[in-house]
Amino acid sequence: MSSEARTLTLQSCRHCGAGAPAQVHFCPQCDRILTLARHGDYFSFFGLPRKLTIDLADLEQRFRALSRQFHPDYFYNASTPERLASLERSSYLNDAFRVLKQPLDRAEYLLKVEGLPSVGRHQDAKELPAGVLEEVFALNEELDDIRAAREAGATPDQLMARLDAARRPVEERAARQEAQLEALFSRWDRQVDEKSSPDVRRATLESLRDLIQERSYIANLIAAVNRERGES
Amino acid sequence: MSYSEKVIDHYNNPRNVGSLPKGDTAVGTGLVGAPECGDVMKLQVRVNPETGVIDDAKFKTFGCGSAIASSSLATEWLKGKTLEQALEIKNVDIVQELSLPPVKIHCSVLAEDAIKAAIADYKRKQQDGQ
Ligand code: FES
Repeated sequence: MSSEARTLTLQSCRHCGAGAPAQVHFCPQCDRILTLARHGDYFSFFGLPRKLTIDLADLEQRFRALSRQFHPDYFYNASTPERLASLERSSYLNDAFRVLKQPLDRAEYLLKVEGLPSVGRHQDAKELPAGVLEEVFALNEELDDIRAAREAGATPDQLMARLDAARRPVEERAARQEAQLEALFSRWDRQVDEKSSPDVRRATLESLRDLIQERSYIANLIAAVNRERGES
Repeated sequence: MSYSEKVIDHYNNPRNVGSLPKGDTAVGTGLVGAPECGDVMKLQVRVNPETGVIDDAKFKTFGCGSAIASSSLATEWLKGKTLEQALEIKNVDIVQELSLPPVKIHCSVLAEDAIKAAIADYKRKQQDGQ
């Protein structure tokens, strides 16, 4: 389903029965807070298009404004459904803000709502760009060797030098991944603006998913190297 | 979460850890990873060219205890099997044998994928060699 179709999805007011677009929080007719609909997503909740580049200051402003509007204090004397709606919208708002403000979480979330969850898939070496798994494997072996050297009494200086040498290629790869990620973010946003065909957009999302997975190996490795450095 | 005794046994005394010569035409190498946790597993088989039977298998896994145990068990099972028999090893067999809990099923899937990848690599080498 395209993002345009989603924003048109109607919700209806439990109080007066009026319909409202999905990104609206209060009934256009009777002004009461609307019960949170099952559909809709974090982007539309904030009134944002499903794009990956987000202006954080703007997001924060929207967050503050909505928090105020939903604040349970205002609904203290309201009916039970309205009180519940304010709680639901407040907690949904907090989840949405937490996810959207982090670029990677935002990207994972987009994949999920577009039907391409990135987790729970296994991949063998062929699916990753040439050399990623090999590099990960080789560095793990080197870390094993470094641990053995430590136990054999190597000096901290020697260990540090080896760890730094081991870290360099992965950090270079991490930097390349960061640049690729940025490029994919802008490509997706452009395709949303240009209303590119679903196939074209899906291809972008698939590249994004693959890159996020590739990135998780590298992030794990960097964490492992840093742990070793801490111990040396 | 507690590991079953069999997992602990394979973890403490992993069978067949090591490497076979990657360039050898009789050797197939499978290298796979689990993106969720970033773990990587290498599994290799050596096939007897006369009989078509796997006569040696080795693994090296950087990952959790269940992944190590799964690959260790897989190498034990692989020895003495033909390629067809080897491809019949399924992750559920590993789950059962090691009593893996649901959250560790993906670790056994990794081992099954590694077997498949190693055998595919071996077959590719045979075709390229002709
Ligand atoms: S947790 Fe990663 S393979 Fe088991």
